[in-house]
Amino acid sequence: MHEISLVRNIFNTLEDEFSKEDLDRLTGIDLKVGLLANVEPTLMQNAFEAVTETENKFLKAKLSINVVPILVECPLCGDVAEVKNYLFQCGNGHPTNNVIQGEELLIERVHFQED
Amino acid sequence: MSVEKSSKAARGTVQCDNSSFSLLKANDFMAENIRKTVKEKNILLINITSSAGSGKTTLMQETAKRLKDKLKMKVLVGDLETERDADRIKEAGVEALQIVTGGICHLEAQMVWQAMDQIDLEGVDLLFVENVGNLVCPASFDLGEDYRVTLIATTEGDDKPKKYPRMFLTSDLMLVSKCDLLPYLPFTVEAVTKDARDINPDLEVMEIASTSGQGIDEWCNWLLAKVKEKQEAKAVTA
Ligand SMILES: Nc1nc2c(ncn2[C@@H]2O[C@H](COP(=O)(O)OP(=O)(O)O)[C@@H](O)[C@H]2O)c(=O)[nH]1
Ligand SMILES: [Mg+2]
Ligand SMILES: [Zn+2]
Repeated sequence: MHEISLVRNIFNTLEDEFSKEDLDRLTGIDLKVGLLANVEPTLMQNAFEAVTETENKFLKAKLSINVVPILVECPLCGDVAEVKNYLFQCGNGHPTNNVIQGEELLIERVHFQED
Repeated sequence: MSVEKSSKAARGTVQCDNSSFSLLKANDFMAENIRKTVKEKNILLINITSSAGSGKTTLMQETAKRLKDKLKMKVLVGDLETERDADRIKEAGVEALQIVTGGICHLEAQMVWQAMDQIDLEGVDLLFVENVGNLVCPASFDLGEDYRVTLIATTEGDDKPKKYPRMFLTSDLMLVSKCDLLPYLPFTVEAVTKDARDINPDLEVMEIASTSGQGIDEWCNWLLAKVKEKQEAKAVTA
């Protein structure tokens, strides 16, 4: 699994976007993860703890993982439907692989100490 | 909202924008570089994925034997630790370079980019990347390829696509490999095709057996057609 490398990507992304002073005051990271992203939340939490400890960074930050379902938009009839049991079709039964949600793997929000 | 590093201290909750906070941002950026480079150089780039042992390297050997006199083909091959696969492909008469990932379970665009720097791409028509054997992690990493081709062997379960939906969703062609063994196994091509097309209705499917040669001509003709298509599209825009 690639959770460890994803956690390192979280760190790199935050370090690109925020200053060291800000990151010292980081209290939380909210991830948005599509069901298709092949991320196992428990493994991700474990990886996060392992990396924060070994790198001695972001120890105060809590990781939350928001898993979002797969949605397709039908190019034929425009219907947007949730994909269940990995049957990729719209509510009217048209097969489609036009995924509009479910592949995301991103940092949605970050939280800092207020003062 | 992207926060400038120089702006005053971040407080409370910061909502992040999707593009700069994607965890695959660095990979996707390199993948775009690869896509541009292969387009400029008129190279068709194919990413070959499967579980370990489904027959990727054997297919590369057979493909090399048949196509090496028709076009210039090279192979980059990802492996956790060893150099064995590249040697097997070289024996078939084409240049191959091993990308040792050192335990990482997938290839990232950065690794392919570095490997492309180590081989001579002049005049190459067809470049394969044999990915690390696993259907999970490689699915998330765009390598800038023109086509993603996934092998599934008859010795695996014919209900496998739904266990690895992202891979089948992002593939263009599914090769059902080791079809010489079909008579002896509970696996059916119909079942695996249905399972995969539930996910990706546009997926092309071919049956092959590298050991007997079944379907290999069809596969090579598919490749030749895609090479021609890309080179003609380039000639029109040039
Ligand atoms: N019966 C049969 N065995 C095959 C075929 N293709 C490959 N194999 C065998 O499957 C094993 C794994 O093949 P390999 O090409 O190394 O798989 P890779 O890990 O996906 O690169 C080897 O022992 C091959 O000889 C095939 O078409 N039929
Ligand atoms: Mg191999
Ligand atoms: Zn529809």
